[in-house]
Amino acid sequence: MTRRTWLFEPEGVVPYDAANDAMHDLARRRLDDVIPDAAILLQHPPVFTAGRRAKPEHLVWSEDEATAHGAEVHHIDRGGSFTFHGPGQLVGYPILHLGGRPDAARYLRSLEAAVIRTGAELGVQLHRRGDVQTGVFAGEDKVCAIGVRLMRTRVTLHGFAINCDTDLSWFDGIVACGLPDNGVTSLSRLLDRDVTVEEVRPIVRHALAAELDLAFEEAPADELALLRSPLVA
Amino acid sequence: MTSIQMPQLGETIVEGTILKWLKAEGEAVERDEPLFEISTDKVDTEVPSPVAGTLTTILVAEGETVPVGTRLAEVASDEDSAVAPAGEAAASSAPPTSLASGGPSGETPGQGASDASTSPASAPAAPAAPTAGASSAPDRGPRSQILSPLVRKLAQEHGIDLSTVSGTGTGGRITKADVMAAVTSGPGPTSAAVVAAAAPAAVTPPSVGAAAVEGETVEPMSHIRKAIATHMVASVNETARAWTMVEVNVEHLVRLRERAKDAFLAVHGVKLTYLPFVVRATVDALQAFPAVNSRIAGDDVVTPRAVHMGIAVSYDAGLIVPVIRNADVMNSVGVARAIADLAARARSHQLKPDEVQGATFTITNPGPYGSLISVPIINQPNVGILSLDGIQRRPVVVEGDAIAVRSMVYVSMSWDHRLIDGEIATRFLARVKQNLESWDFAEDLGI
Repeated sequence: MTRRTWLFEPEGVVPYDAANDAMHDLARRRLDDVIPDAAILLQHPPVFTAGRRAKPEHLVWSEDEATAHGAEVHHIDRGGSFTFHGPGQLVGYPILHLGGRPDAARYLRSLEAAVIRTGAELGVQLHRRGDVQTGVFAGEDKVCAIGVRLMRTRVTLHGFAINCDTDLSWFDGIVACGLPDNGVTSLSRLLDRDVTVEEVRPIVRHALAAELDLAFEEAPADELALLRSPLVA
Repeated sequence: MTSIQMPQLGETIVEGTILKWLKAEGEAVERDEPLFEISTDKVDTEVPSPVAGTLTTILVAEGETVPVGTRLAEVASDEDSAVAPAGEAAASSAPPTSLASGGPSGETPGQGASDASTSPASAPAAPAAPTAGASSAPDRGPRSQILSPLVRKLAQEHGIDLSTVSGTGTGGRITKADVMAAVTSGPGPTSAAVVAAAAPAAVTPPSVGAAAVEGETVEPMSHIRKAIATHMVASVNETARAWTMVEVNVEHLVRLRERAKDAFLAVHGVKLTYLPFVVRATVDALQAFPAVNSRIAGDDVVTPRAVHMGIAVSYDAGLIVPVIRNADVMNSVGVARAIADLAARARSHQLKPDEVQGATFTITNPGPYGSLISVPIINQPNVGILSLDGIQRRPVVVEGDAIAVRSMVYVSMSWDHRLIDGEIATRFLARVKQNLESWDFAEDLGI
């Protein structure tokens, strides 16, 4: 059954807190079944986020150093270790109700499949490395981080982050996802041309719709205000 | 009482870690209110309570990682009566699963009864006990040791030594009412008498870790080991175990297996052991004596029409009992295939939670390891567990009062005297014996 899905595509960069609050707000209402599924596609200003499995040693820079570089550090409620978000990276937060028998593993595979499909359209062969970690890789290098949390085991939170033309030197600040031996790459580096977020966005939208059977519609105007920072408290 | 289990978040997610309990023991919880948070290798989630009620027991502590399906806590739903009788809670809340102590690793040469890679086996001495949940279970020791924060606090406030208080809660747990009763009755002879009267349920002090001594190694018991231990003891405590043995002449089965095993392997891709014959013979006996296929649930006796046969399989973590579902509709080939599949997946940790639950009867097979006679512990809530021990060539008296050498085996059953009596148990075993001695399994092998 195709899922009616509100699509949020805020312009510019959205502060992490604002997006995080909006995502949780939407998820709570999705849980109560008062809104349809939703998906947010956005870019953040530079921010390091630490999941529950983040170990201090995975942050190479100190939090002060990160701040000095112009990045915030947030400790958040998803699983996984540290990751980086910033300009040039397309971040997706699907807020989907997984139903009465939620299959989180299948949902993660669908996210991975959507990113792999996106890469294929752009001409790069990506793959999952289920034995190593959730995410999408090119060779040994991660091009898309995936980290998901569920609300009450059934509504999805957080999501994926595809490096389009991200400044990869930001990743020097962390051991990405706690995997010291894995590098990080971007679609631009893989394709040896500038692949922007705006080029990737419609492809991702299409791939998500196909893999998760979503029918996107623009979110109502008053809902869009959720993500128009700094109106979000 | 509602058992809360580690949820299945997808087929490939096999275990989860308790990050945080959001409610304490004794605290009320609404239906669908988050009860705890878990982390898996893929996702984290908060898990809501399926019912409104009171969180009575936390069985798995924060930071512990347990398989999907493991019982984590118990919530007394608002619809439950205030205090469930201990036996009822135990009987209704525990789907049977993994059991028993791990068997010795060596196969006895010349035994020929079966092959270690395809044939389940259990320890000769102590094959089975039930556990709740998937392949592991709560491991906070006997319930009688678990004290809610409220009880601890009350006891402290009133200066009550909890080791002198007898518990009337589920499994002998000390409840708030017990503490208040102790406060009211005061110290002295009264409470001492209560302790004496309720000795089995009395609280024992928490175990103290062993100190390493020269020449000894000390390591913590695994979750599974502890779960096995808990459920072994629970079974022994809760069942009225009796045991009956018959001797079976399996001469023709040994010959049949010798004759057919190569062709069987070639045609069906699995080794032919004696276990499928025993499963078939036992299924027939269970159908003839349905009481042996039943279980106690509270004050009721539940008798399933189908036979779901639990087979004890030893593996690296201990012992587990995968279940051949609807064994009553299978021939020997189907049973052999099911056993080979379940045993292989048990040993590679690939069993799904529902494949180790719901056995209506259990068979353990220590024979290949060289046992002669075993007295297994009942896999609750089953009524009985049948043990197939080692086949031996020995002189027996045969027709015409002659003495001849025959392949003989002892087949025995531990059974729960609460539900059946000696007559049924013995007639059941006699039926198994008769089936094994008289049935011609050749056609059943499909070769």
